[in-house]
Amino acid sequence: MKKVLIIEDDTFLQGLVSRKLKSESYDVMIASDSDDAFAVLEKGIPDMILLDLLLPKIDGFEILTKIRQDPKFKAIPVIVFSNLSEDTDIKRAQDLGINAFMIKSNFTLDELSERIKGLLG
Amino acid sequence: MDEKNPLEKLRIENDKLKRLNSFKTDLISINAHQLRTSLSAMKWILKMFIDKDLGELNKEQESFMEKTYESNERMIKLVNEMLDSNKEEPKQIEYDFESLDIVDLIDDTLFDFKGEAYKKNIDVIFLKPDEETFPLVHADREKIRSVLQNLIENALKYSEEGDRVFITIKKDSGYVQVSIKDTGIGIKEEYIKNLFGKFFRVRNDNDQINGSGLGLFACKNIIEKHDGEIWVESKLGIGSTFYFTLLLSTEKS
Repeated sequence: MKKVLIIEDDTFLQGLVSRKLKSESYDVMIASDSDDAFAVLEKGIPDMILLDLLLPKIDGFEILTKIRQDPKFKAIPVIVFSNLSEDTDIKRAQDLGINAFMIKSNFTLDELSERIKGLLG
Repeated sequence: MDEKNPLEKLRIENDKLKRLNSFKTDLISINAHQLRTSLSAMKWILKMFIDKDLGELNKEQESFMEKTYESNERMIKLVNEMLDSNKEEPKQIEYDFESLDIVDLIDDTLFDFKGEAYKKNIDVIFLKPDEETFPLVHADREKIRSVLQNLIENALKYSEEGDRVFITIKKDSGYVQVSIKDTGIGIKEEYIKNLFGKFFRVRNDNDQINGSGLGLFACKNIIEKHDGEIWVESKLGIGSTFYFTLLLSTEKS
């Protein structure tokens, strides 16, 4: 069973994404902020991370930076799943190293799930 | 005398405006992000209903869910366009022209107003043309939909209980004319010439009627992009009729 870590602070959206991925037989882990996320990561490496950018205290860009700098985590594929869409935000995330940038409101959960499947090969 | 020179004054004023502009840009961007969060949740949940993930629906429920999903998609598109126009160098709003069945589009748009019209007890009547097949027009479906929405919304807004709104279409040489007629409060003659200006809104005694005023300005821009015309005839206390024209598809190709 492939493991997906969702880093998202909005519990409602978190629940919806989690429900969808569970129904597609993924093992879903959830983190609401950076501390949560690294606590989960220390327990086991997921196959994929879904990362929101606007998060409390430490934002998604910083989390991404830390993930990419850590030899244990740097190979994990990351999909940014956010509602930010400024060119500068997309460029910044791409420069840090992501596998996809998806704007939440522009995709259905089926499309998200398809993308995850595609990236996991 | 501590009189600053004019250039210095201009510079200060310019900085102030720049700060204000950047504040507005940020505010729009933050609000759009919040809007998208709610719109995403609605999109995903409606999709679950439509896909029967949450159980079977009857035909009516299914059709309502689909309509709501489509409305939600339009809001998402609007937010996207708002964000685009909020950029330093705004992208031109793109037009996606097609050969459009205007009768079908009016029917479809009216569906969205059923609830509101019923609540206000206003009859909205679409007087369809006699022709079995009405000629297609050269238009962008979503842009014309928002023009229709604006005009119908206004007609309902300025009508009272028991009033009626009539929508008619007729073909002329080379174009189609659509009209939306209400029997509402009407517009003072002095206001009519500025009605389609940016931010213009008629001041009425009726304080409950709010609006940004951007609606008719946007409509005019859209219709002009279609090489059409938009205008109004109105009498105070009798009602208003808004007209717009669209070129026939055959004229364009």
